[in-house]
Amino acid sequence: MRWGAPCGLPDQPPVPRRAIPLATQKELSDFLAEVERRAYKQALFSVRDDHLALDIVQDAMLKLTESYAGRPPGELPLLFQRILQNTIRDFFRRQKVRALWTSPLSSLFGSGADEDADPLESLEVADDSRFSEPPSEQAERSQVLAFIEKALERLPARQRQAFLLRYWEELDVAAVASIMGCSEGSVKTHCSRATHALSVMLGKQGIKL
Amino acid sequence: MNRGEDEFARTIVQRLDESAARLDAGTHARLVAARTAALARYPGAPALGLAGNVRVFVELHLFGARIAAVVTALMIATASVVYWQSAAPNGDLADLEISLLTDELPINAYLDKGFDSWLKRSPR
Repeated sequence: MRWGAPCGLPDQPPVPRRAIPLATQKELSDFLAEVERRAYKQALFSVRDDHLALDIVQDAMLKLTESYAGRPPGELPLLFQRILQNTIRDFFRRQKVRALWTSPLSSLFGSGADEDADPLESLEVADDSRFSEPPSEQAERSQVLAFIEKALERLPARQRQAFLLRYWEELDVAAVASIMGCSEGSVKTHCSRATHALSVMLGKQGIKL
Repeated sequence: MNRGEDEFARTIVQRLDESAARLDAGTHARLVAARTAALARYPGAPALGLAGNVRVFVELHLFGARIAAVVTALMIATASVVYWQSAAPNGDLADLEISLLTDELPINAYLDKGFDSWLKRSPR
């Protein structure tokens, strides 16, 4: 179950703030508990590092609580997603600045990474025995999940962002456009391209959902 | 976005939900800790426990220690500048060095105590 209804639409009539109940600590806690796993995964798809993803989620949670704790609960999803996406973007900006200093060194020593390797071709099956299905099906399921996540990582950032916000966070097109700072038409285009790209990538691996 | 794309996307999302539910215990624990830390900042949240108070105490004193370190470093730098300026040779010493270096006698002659006595006895 996703939290709340579409929110943040610009054409909604203004409501006196006194009439809107503000989010209680319990409501904020329930919201964060419901969104934290998806937020972590979203950050992980972008930065591809467990610790960095956790740091990003923690920063986003802190910013939401410190700056927007007094907002109505219906506004929390949009606010949090905006904060999360900005925090991810800030990470890449800092990385770009850092790269200005470290790239001369890396050019001396070389990266050593095979940039032409297809990550989908070297995935290992995760060991997961929590489910009661036969091991072979568990392995196949884990492998499919791993392929899907790798495919999402390979998407262009804007397509991935639009896809996850629109389909996974269940925000409406207007809200996604507001977060991404683009038009609603762009959001639909990004979503369509992302869906098509995922379909192609998974199809190449023989995965049919 | 057509219906086929929507259905495919929802299938992907179902798998993503499954993946999110499979997070390892360590990662989930860290997320819970992050959530707890964030909620502690909620306006009017209950005061932190002993650990939280100790952390706040340490943070405050670390801040004061940093300020003290900066002031100390500035004072040391100022004192160093004053010291080096005062240790620089004054005019008399500079003149003595110049006379030693330009004199016809070798410098070792001045180290000879006998020569020094002779200089004092001889009229100039």
